[in-house]
Amino acid sequence: MIEVFKSVLRGVDGYAEIRYHKRVTTIIEARNGTLAKAEQRTLAGAAVRCLIDGCWGFVSTSDVTESGLCSALADAIDGAAAAARIKKERAKLAPARMGEGEFVYYERGSEPSIAEKIARVLEAEERLRSRSELIVGSVVRYTHYDDEKYIVNTDGAAAHIVDSKQSIHVFATAGRDGKLETDVKAWGVTGSWQALMEKGDLDQMVDRAAQGAIEKLDAGYAPGGQYTVILDPGLVGVLSHEAIGHTVEADFVLAGSIAKGKIGQRVASELVTMVDDGNVPGAAGMVLVDDEGVQGERTVLIENGVLRAYLHNRESAAMLGAAPRGNARAFTYRDEPLIRMTNTFILPGKDDLKAMISEVEDGFFLSGLGQGGQADSDAEFMFSVGQAWRIRDGRLCEPVKGVTISGQAFEVLSSVDAVSSGFKLDMGAGHCGKWQPAKVDAGGPYLRCRVTIGGRQDEREQ
Amino acid sequence: MSENSEVGGGRSMSVTRGFDWCDLAIERGLARGAAAVEAFYLESRSVEVMVEKNDIHVPKGDRYSGIGLRVLMASDDGFKQGFASTNLLTAESIDSALAAAMAIAEASPADPARCLAQPDRGAAGVEPVEGLYDEGIAGMDLAGAMKQAGAFLEGALGYDGRVTVDSAMFRAEVSEKTVANSNGVRLSQHKTVASTQGIAFAVDGDRVSSFDLGVAESCALGQVDAFGVGRDLARRVVAALDARSAPSFRGKVLLTPYAALELVLEPIAYSCNAEIVQTGRSKWKGMLGKQVASPMVSVVDDPGIPQASGSTAFDREGVPARRLELVTGGVLQDYLYNCYTARRDGRESNGRASGNDAGLPGVSTTNMVLSPGKHSLEQLIAQCDRGLIVNRFSGGVDPASGDFSGVVKGGHYVEGGVVAYPVKEMMIAGNIYELLTQVVGLSDELWVLGAYRLPHILLDGCSITGK
Repeated sequence: MIEVFKSVLRGVDGYAEIRYHKRVTTIIEARNGTLAKAEQRTLAGAAVRCLIDGCWGFVSTSDVTESGLCSALADAIDGAAAAARIKKERAKLAPARMGEGEFVYYERGSEPSIAEKIARVLEAEERLRSRSELIVGSVVRYTHYDDEKYIVNTDGAAAHIVDSKQSIHVFATAGRDGKLETDVKAWGVTGSWQALMEKGDLDQMVDRAAQGAIEKLDAGYAPGGQYTVILDPGLVGVLSHEAIGHTVEADFVLAGSIAKGKIGQRVASELVTMVDDGNVPGAAGMVLVDDEGVQGERTVLIENGVLRAYLHNRESAAMLGAAPRGNARAFTYRDEPLIRMTNTFILPGKDDLKAMISEVEDGFFLSGLGQGGQADSDAEFMFSVGQAWRIRDGRLCEPVKGVTISGQAFEVLSSVDAVSSGFKLDMGAGHCGKWQPAKVDAGGPYLRCRVTIGGRQDEREQ
Repeated sequence: MSENSEVGGGRSMSVTRGFDWCDLAIERGLARGAAAVEAFYLESRSVEVMVEKNDIHVPKGDRYSGIGLRVLMASDDGFKQGFASTNLLTAESIDSALAAAMAIAEASPADPARCLAQPDRGAAGVEPVEGLYDEGIAGMDLAGAMKQAGAFLEGALGYDGRVTVDSAMFRAEVSEKTVANSNGVRLSQHKTVASTQGIAFAVDGDRVSSFDLGVAESCALGQVDAFGVGRDLARRVVAALDARSAPSFRGKVLLTPYAALELVLEPIAYSCNAEIVQTGRSKWKGMLGKQVASPMVSVVDDPGIPQASGSTAFDREGVPARRLELVTGGVLQDYLYNCYTARRDGRESNGRASGNDAGLPGVSTTNMVLSPGKHSLEQLIAQCDRGLIVNRFSGGVDPASGDFSGVVKGGHYVEGGVVAYPVKEMMIAGNIYELLTQVVGLSDELWVLGAYRLPHILLDGCSITGK
């Protein structure tokens, strides 16, 4: 296939690339005692992208014969020529370390049959339902992306990539007296089914989801206000990815995000070092070669509290005089590569978690993302929290529900006064959304910091 | 088998191609021992122009065709179901997809509610929807799409030099969907959709407004005013520049249609979804015929609105889709069903199977409409001694419990019945199902946001946290 692609690209006046991507997606979902979904999708085709006179053209097609690719290339060139008539800025590409050869992201073993996977998902869902009569909604969902790519470009990339990303979501809904509460446990890996089951014990996660949902039925709401909190690795991952990571994506930076012009400035406590690294084995955001053919390398975003770098594709790297490190990613062959994170995390520190809790007089211990959240270009964020407990006089006390945290992410990171030695990447189950989805991972240690807790106004009536 | 039925206009794609692939798949699936087979074919062609950082970014073209295959295998306890799809359209790849679907079916438990749609033999049959196909969209090339994206930019940037269009796009798509099954359903529909959307913010020195978004979508090109969407978006982000904090209080919140879409219509769509109801996640389970909202609230789902992007003559399974009252005068009237969820409740599908060739049918709304009220927006604002206009809500809504909490974006503080100043760092929290009973006003206009139509909504009893 690589030779055919090289042949199509021969003679192009300018830059061009062909990215073939075949994805077989398997989804199995058991819900309330039924197999709600079991399906397999094959999506295969090629994206042809060219840069002519500093303007991009992009055409995707499922016809990957030589003639089909030649026709797509001609259309892409026409598109680029049309853009050249009105586009103001012209793009250039930074030099990069191109991927050549085989890149196999995981240890390939014998994957269980679809029948075995269906049986395991059904069994887990049945276990969830049987935990308590209070469980009124139960979902267990398995997702697998089995990917093969060939990426060839006129700058020397010629990579064959074999990747497998798998994840599990467990949703438990508990109900009583018309009140419904949900808890979610989810995790993901780059790897085999076996690696997925080693990262998270399915039965244990099912039990924890059931318990979490039931506990919320009796939990009260948190009073709103500024508090000292302990964020678990899941929420540290959310903060790193959503509230900081997006503001340092070079396309957002160029559009005026809060991180613009702040390289070399102190933006966080000196206890905080944050990186983006596609080379973490097994992490769900693993990218050894990105969708521009560039090899993945670790980017140190914040070093001991000082902002050091942004995340780039080749175009933004050329504009800002940086080196691209494998952050141009496309979800399927029909998508163009965008600047995306891979695995984004804060490095562990030296503090003991128990000691960190014991020093909090009045605060909260917060675990995992709840229903979602959002962050803005000014790093203002709001996230709902999956599970929360009150901390009083250095001790974990009663659970509370409906907790959201908000603040300005860099201010929150500046307030960090303790970083645990324990560390986990814990955000690999879902997708990051930015016009198109991307599998990412994120996490870190436990952090102690100050945030605004949004609770119900009932308790602070004015 | 019945005659092919083509619903709606459209001349640019071959209807027979879709039926040919569907027929081949059904024939081969039955030959493999399936008791029933459904094939859903989708062919599309699109052009799209992206805008980034105030400039044209990437013009994109795509041609796609794919087929989704559902098989049912008979067993003593009902049917076992399997599904596979492929966009590699050859007889071999269809065979391979059928083999995968059969393997999944064999491994799946039987379920007496598994079924495929029956051909509609009713008097009305499948009624075509007006205005689903526009030659102006079908024939648009990349240069045409680029002109539209340019208009969006002109609308936004021409309003005020402080506006930055972070990203935006204009897209034109023409598609053919064909659904056929071994019960004799054979339907095809051509449709065009033009859409534009953008995210922008304003910067003035150190002051940065929050992000805001603008959208428009229709089957008719004339209904998608890219310039107007850009201009309106620019107006809103500039107005949010001088935002400051306001005090905490509990009281009235006026949701703009953008905020109300997420806080009101989406939870209603969730709670009316029979899949959600049957899995115990809907607050409105067992509430048919009961008061679930203020008598001011009436919501219909209408797939027959001419030129609307959510319109369709039939659903993903080939069941005719017709107007459906969900909430009338605050009373819950019906849930949204596909064939499976309908059979589980012992009734007929009401044509709300959703999805495409890449997956099994789900359940969703088509065009959701919240009926407007009788007061102008100004009159609603005048009703607020103290209130908050929520332009956009950024936060979490748990549709199961109804609890929501989040940050107000582009909000305005109202005092003494007049808009006082734009606000920042305000959070609102509450329970949407409780607030639905506290709707105290609806404006008399109807905004079209893609497949949703709704007015401004005035709610009372909301917790508002400031600084």
